[in-house]
Amino acid sequence: MIDDAALPPLVRERLRALLLERSHALVLGFSPDWTLREVCGDAAFHGIDAAAPAAGIAALQDLFVGIDIGDDQEIPFVELANGRSAHVHLLADGDRFHLLLLDADEARATQRSQQQLANEAVLAGHAKSKAIDALRNIRNELERQRARLEEANALKNALIATMSHEFRTPLTSAFGHLRLLERQLPPGESGAALQAVRRSLTYLFALAENLLEYGRGEAGGGLLDPVEIDLDALLADCEAMFRPLASAKGLAFRTRLDRDDAATPRFDEVKLRQIVINLLSNAVRYTHSGEVALALRWANARLHVEVSDTGIGIAPEFRARVFHPFNSGAQSGSRGAGLGLSIVRRLVEQMHGTLALESAPGTGTRFELDLPGAVAASAPTTSDAAPLRGQALVVEDDTDVSHLLEIALGGLGLEVRVVGEAAIAIETVLAAPPRLLVFDMHLPDLSGSEAVFRLRAQGHRGAILMLSANASADARDAALRAGADRYLTKPIDFARLEDTVRELLA
Amino acid sequence: MSAGPFKVCMLGDFGVGKTSLVSRFVRSTFSDKYLTTVGVKVDSKEVARAGRDPVKLVLWDIAGRNALDSVGANYLRGASALLLVADGTREASLASALDLLMQARGLLPNALAVLAMNKFDLLDRWEVAPPTLTQLRRTLAVFETSAATGAGVEDAFAAIVAGLAP
Repeated sequence: MIDDAALPPLVRERLRALLLERSHALVLGFSPDWTLREVCGDAAFHGIDAAAPAAGIAALQDLFVGIDIGDDQEIPFVELANGRSAHVHLLADGDRFHLLLLDADEARATQRSQQQLANEAVLAGHAKSKAIDALRNIRNELERQRARLEEANALKNALIATMSHEFRTPLTSAFGHLRLLERQLPPGESGAALQAVRRSLTYLFALAENLLEYGRGEAGGGLLDPVEIDLDALLADCEAMFRPLASAKGLAFRTRLDRDDAATPRFDEVKLRQIVINLLSNAVRYTHSGEVALALRWANARLHVEVSDTGIGIAPEFRARVFHPFNSGAQSGSRGAGLGLSIVRRLVEQMHGTLALESAPGTGTRFELDLPGAVAASAPTTSDAAPLRGQALVVEDDTDVSHLLEIALGGLGLEVRVVGEAAIAIETVLAAPPRLLVFDMHLPDLSGSEAVFRLRAQGHRGAILMLSANASADARDAALRAGADRYLTKPIDFARLEDTVRELLA
Repeated sequence: MSAGPFKVCMLGDFGVGKTSLVSRFVRSTFSDKYLTTVGVKVDSKEVARAGRDPVKLVLWDIAGRNALDSVGANYLRGASALLLVADGTREASLASALDLLMQARGLLPNALAVLAMNKFDLLDRWEVAPPTLTQLRRTLAVFETSAATGAGVEDAFAAIVAGLAP
């Protein structure tokens, strides 16, 4: 603290002048009843009109409501009527008192800017933590939803896998026995009846595949299982299946096959049939007069499929919608599940093909597909190749299917033994390793993959062929990772089975 | 003639809306721009009463704080009533208001206290739960207020007037 008296008079005088100037000091003298006695300083600076000071004085008087003005008082940073800020001092002085106002505007501005930043930071921090809490809650809710969806999806997949097995197992048995009957009966004898049975089975199979394909979902992917395709047979089957239906409606049914490529086409037969059957089903369903036509052209390793009709057609606004599932309202008067075209589009994509639609309401519809053929695998063996030697163990719990496998493998020259449980199969294999092991993927006691893994883990090196009703890429990969050499899907294509076995044992 | 004047101090954490409540009550205005108060701003209003003299309230809008320091305590001297203000969207501001009341009681044992739970217009963001206010109402007059819409503001000051000049 500087001793005022010690200051040189010149300095003291300059300091006093500076302080008075910078503080814009205003002194108001009052009698105890707040009657203004004197004004000294810059009243206007502090918002007090010297000519009519009543309003300003009343505001100052409010500052001391409830306070004893007999004692000195100090009220810092008072916002005045003109918006300025002042430190207000009350100085008691005998029978009167003085109010001293010192400018605090600059100090207030500095303090306000610092305080504002600090307060806003705290408020923003609070808002941020609330937002983080909200996001955390959303994330937790999403996690819960995802878990529920995953559970539902797992249930759906389990249902599809079960249904797949349930559908394919009896179909395998029916197709297999049909094949046996066709071989055993002399040509012409009951041939028409067997054809009818085959047709119905094929149609039932296509329907089941549609449902399963839809149930697998977009992400399920489809495992392509290319085999050599007999286009004549495909065309004949379609004729056999749809000509009677078309005739019953008074429609002409035309088919045409052009072959400009000498190579044998290879496609996933199930998917190709599913596509053609779905398109023809729709064509026959939505055509009330005229004709339905199927044209196949095999050229440059590509199969061009054209299905056309003179039916009710599809209005432009519905063209995109017909490829959505459950679209049965897209075509007027339509009936059915509305799955067919959505399945067709999905299958065409899986087969890396393209699909085009032309249609005019009242005139007809034409679907054109272009499908690239699969690369040829190693040359298939012929049915009259040399008989195989050695033992084969079939592990299959469905006796109908195991019986068919026994016949098929036995026909190749193998000694076949059948067991129905994986545990017994493991014991049997370890005791006397067979040349070929044919495992069903779904066994009652252990999955085929687990059993195969255990066998490989214990050193079994024989050929292992896995059979499954599950046509997904995931299932195949799991089986091959476990140690299987080949993976075939049901219903079993026995010609393919024979080729695969010969290849494995070559 | 009017009864009073009575000094009423607005007390609460920063950003709870003390200045906005005074603006709404005295000038019927509102701005959603936040400008921190430094020091004190004093306003007054004569509150009309049916068939009786009006009551003059001198409102001290004091810079927000969550604890009373010597400067804050100095501002409270001579106050007849405290209008505690808390922000319903910040539960911590209610705790601050109640802390400030406890501290102010040491200086002003007889002052009337009323609590304004402000920002009622943002009710969907409130953190203060109804049971908390039910509990508080057993010992304190509590008003849900909104300086933005004016909801509850007159009622809160009317309660102060009624308490000061019955």
